[in-house]
Amino acid sequence: MEQVMYPQSGGTPPVRPKNYLVESILVTIFCCLPFGIPGIVFASQVNSKYDAGDYAGAEKASKEAKTWTLVSFIIGIAAVIIWIIIAFTTTFFSAMFHHNFHP
Amino acid sequence: MSIARIKILLISIAVLTLGLLYYFFNPVGHSFFPKCPFYALTGLDCPGCGSQRAFYALLHGHLLEAAGYNLLSVLVLPFIIYSAAVFTGNHLFDKNWKQNIFYKPWFAKAVLVFVLLFWILRNLPFPCFHWMAA
Repeated sequence: MEQVMYPQSGGTPPVRPKNYLVESILVTIFCCLPFGIPGIVFASQVNSKYDAGDYAGAEKASKEAKTWTLVSFIIGIAAVIIWIIIAFTTTFFSAMFHHNFHP
Repeated sequence: MSIARIKILLISIAVLTLGLLYYFFNPVGHSFFPKCPFYALTGLDCPGCGSQRAFYALLHGHLLEAAGYNLLSVLVLPFIIYSAAVFTGNHLFDKNWKQNIFYKPWFAKAVLVFVLLFWILRNLPFPCFHWMAA
């Protein structure tokens, strides 16, 4: 595993990478799927690795956190769309075969 | 219009639409609200179960009722508001305020521990944990 080493003292450290913690929490709680939890794990790694001086590791964890939140968000949206389609078709067909159906 | 402004516009429209939807329609008694896939598959509550009912209760100012549906959604609320305020302020006033709390290693770890504990405890069959279930 190749690791880019940054100077520990002297010179300015690279910008702290985004950790996607808020996004991870939001998808965990409001997307009805527990896939946001890996996002929280990687968000936590971004913070600890950056503070320990492992800037390359923090950058990598940031990318992982982004991927997990995005995947979780997309699965959540897809689940909602599928749910709506199923709900509407079943309501429509059950109404169609019902005697009191007046379109 | 810059990409950041389009992003803010889209987020604002989404938040407003969802806010109106969950203000006027109670997930209890309206079958068109999606059910949690994890709950449907396993019969167990996930850390997000009950958040739609909690959101409805929160919009009507019923904090305790919301906590009864999903404790986490109430606990994270101040942090979400703080994050949204800093984000909006940065773009409106062209500032670069940092959301420092989210970048403290202890805070991210605490969030993880809370979420996992909540997930386990709300599914335990003991009466003392029933209030945590969705």
